[in-house]
Amino acid sequence: MLTINNLHVEVQDNEVLKSVNLEIPDGEVHALFGPNGSGKSVLIMTIMGYPEYKVTEGSILIDNKDILELDINERVKLGVGLSEQRPPTIKGVKLKNLLELIEHKDKKGQLYVNDMIEKFNIRKFLDRNINDGLSGGEIKQSELFLLLISNPKLLILDEPDSGVDPEKLKKIGGMINESLRDKRFEKRLPSNHLNRNSGLIATHSAAILDYIHVDKAHVMINGEIKCYGNANILMDQIKENGYEYCINCQHKNNM
Amino acid sequence: MKNVSEKLVWDKIESFNNEDNIEIDFEDYSFSKLKIGIKDDSISTKEINEIDMDTLASVGVNINEDSDSGKYLLFGEKNYVAKPQFAGVEILPIKEALETYPEIMEKYFFKAMETNKNRYTKAVSETVPKGYFIRVKKNVKIKEPLHAGLFMHEEMSAMSLHNIVVLEEGAHLHLITGCTANHTLKGGLHVVVSEQYVGKNAKFINTMIHNWGPEFIVRPSTATVVEKNGFFVNNYYSIKPPRNIKMDPFTHLKGENATAKYMSILFCLPDTHSNIGGTVLMTGENSAAELVARAVNYGGTIVQTGLLIGAAKNTRAHVDCSGLMLSDSGIIEAIPGLRAMHPDARMSHEAAIGKIDTGEVNYLQSKGLDEMQAIALIIRGFLDIGIEGLSPEMEKTIKEIAELSGHGEE
Ligand SMILES: Nc1ncnc2c1ncn2[C@@H]1O[C@H](COP(=O)(O)OP(=O)(O)OP(=O)(O)O)[C@@H](O)[C@H]1O
Ligand SMILES: [Mg+2]
Repeated sequence: MLTINNLHVEVQDNEVLKSVNLEIPDGEVHALFGPNGSGKSVLIMTIMGYPEYKVTEGSILIDNKDILELDINERVKLGVGLSEQRPPTIKGVKLKNLLELIEHKDKKGQLYVNDMIEKFNIRKFLDRNINDGLSGGEIKQSELFLLLISNPKLLILDEPDSGVDPEKLKKIGGMINESLRDKRFEKRLPSNHLNRNSGLIATHSAAILDYIHVDKAHVMINGEIKCYGNANILMDQIKENGYEYCINCQHKNNM
Repeated sequence: MKNVSEKLVWDKIESFNNEDNIEIDFEDYSFSKLKIGIKDDSISTKEINEIDMDTLASVGVNINEDSDSGKYLLFGEKNYVAKPQFAGVEILPIKEALETYPEIMEKYFFKAMETNKNRYTKAVSETVPKGYFIRVKKNVKIKEPLHAGLFMHEEMSAMSLHNIVVLEEGAHLHLITGCTANHTLKGGLHVVVSEQYVGKNAKFINTMIHNWGPEFIVRPSTATVVEKNGFFVNNYYSIKPPRNIKMDPFTHLKGENATAKYMSILFCLPDTHSNIGGTVLMTGENSAAELVARAVNYGGTIVQTGLLIGAAKNTRAHVDCSGLMLSDSGIIEAIPGLRAMHPDARMSHEAAIGKIDTGEVNYLQSKGLDEMQAIALIIRGFLDIGIEGLSPEMEKTIKEIAELSGHGEE
């Protein structure tokens, strides 16, 4: 699904990512760990195509197709969807105005959107300006909702769990699982068939991992992926020994 | 020695000043013809072709549509009136009204506005009066908006108007005045005197929509008097600006608890100059004035002014001028003004000029919009100022302005 080779990225003339390699196969969900300021968000925003993150070397492939020349919305068309860590507030633009433009034209799609509005308590945000005055947890909810209705094939979540109370975390876990459910195969495959979209989740706590099955975790340190492994084991080690553990770990990422 | 880019700035300032103080020659527009007038000054709607009707519709005026509240159209020098189906509402061409009701001359004609206020009011006073007289009688409340169209159909002609609106005590009226010209016309001169009287407890929403050709000169002079508990809303939309427009509608909140709200939305193109202001004098205790102006500039010049004068106890005022710059070549000047003449006047202002935030555009793109949709959505949000009496057509117009601006960015 996603392949990143030797990616170097500059932000305001500073090299933040220094040779990042990462591979997420179809149907797998990976976690991205790493200390504050290590470059997780920069990697994520670069995958989405935000122009202030300049790729100086390397490539990003979606389904073996290089996407570096594509605009943000063209990447969305390819199935990339992002829930941002700190999305901007947009004065004067109500969530419902945005919905009108992205809502599915067919009846079924509209019903689905309405369903999700009810299921995840979004109605109360519809008449408010996008992200304006929303609490931390509410912003996550709104971001995940928008992600959900865009039916992405690759979900990128930047700290969907930070600042979220335990009860809401469960709800957010539910939203993520709903987005991971691959709706394209629903009709054709038996209902017990486990078919998922792919995902990349940046997180500091493993809290969200209680709700979502993660196939693998990567640790980003100082602009490089230093180590990978089982998410729960890695997180336990980090909690006990700090990121030092990853720097010296045996699973050095030598891709 | 000035360097090149500095010289460009000085040139821009000079042309700004020239255009802002432009002195037009009335005879370039055969203005003196209007002092003589024409014999038969009425027209039937059958004489107006579909294209012109569509142009009128673009400024919110639907002449052929059935309506109980009545219509007025001035087509060149000719009047058309559809009488309202309500008792207590009158619409008449001003000339006929002056002949029918002697009290208009005594109470309303050049009474809110001085004849010699400026050279344009003076010019209007010298012509055969054209325009509408609208009166809503005591406690008559009209829900449906009343449409008035002012349509110019001859190249390089002049239109001179004197409109009078009277709302008696407790009356309600929403008037939509659309000013425009045949879409093939390049230039003309449009000069207006408007006097509006909002009685005790009356509510008047006045929505003016403009759509002009590239060489038009537009000079409206407006004065409104609002009595105790009266409520006056002045909405102004410019869909397509003329080459040069300057207006500063004046409102006197005379009675206590009187309210005035000015809301303006303009869309500005290269080689046009729009100086849109508003002055509200508050002498009534507890009166309140608010002025909100939004401008989207695609390369022309916009001057947003507003002056609110608090001259009585507990008067409240707020001015908010904001502009979006969508091109490198335009000018926006915001002059939000407050003048307190009483210690208990509470007044505040804000002004902001900037371009569209690319971060916001990118964010909306990441939610699946293309760049143009994202820009249009942001502009629509910028223009959403909670306008009172916004009809679906006008909402559509705003959407169109936003979409046009989105295209402009390409
Ligand atoms: N727009 C920007 N301008 C300047 N510096 C930036 C910008 N975005 C990121 N950086 C810098 O790049 C580095 C990596 O930041 P990034 O946001 O990716 O960290 P992170 O791993 O997501 O941290 P956190 O866990 O705190 O979210 C930081 O030093 C940050 O200051
Ligand atoms: Mg981050």
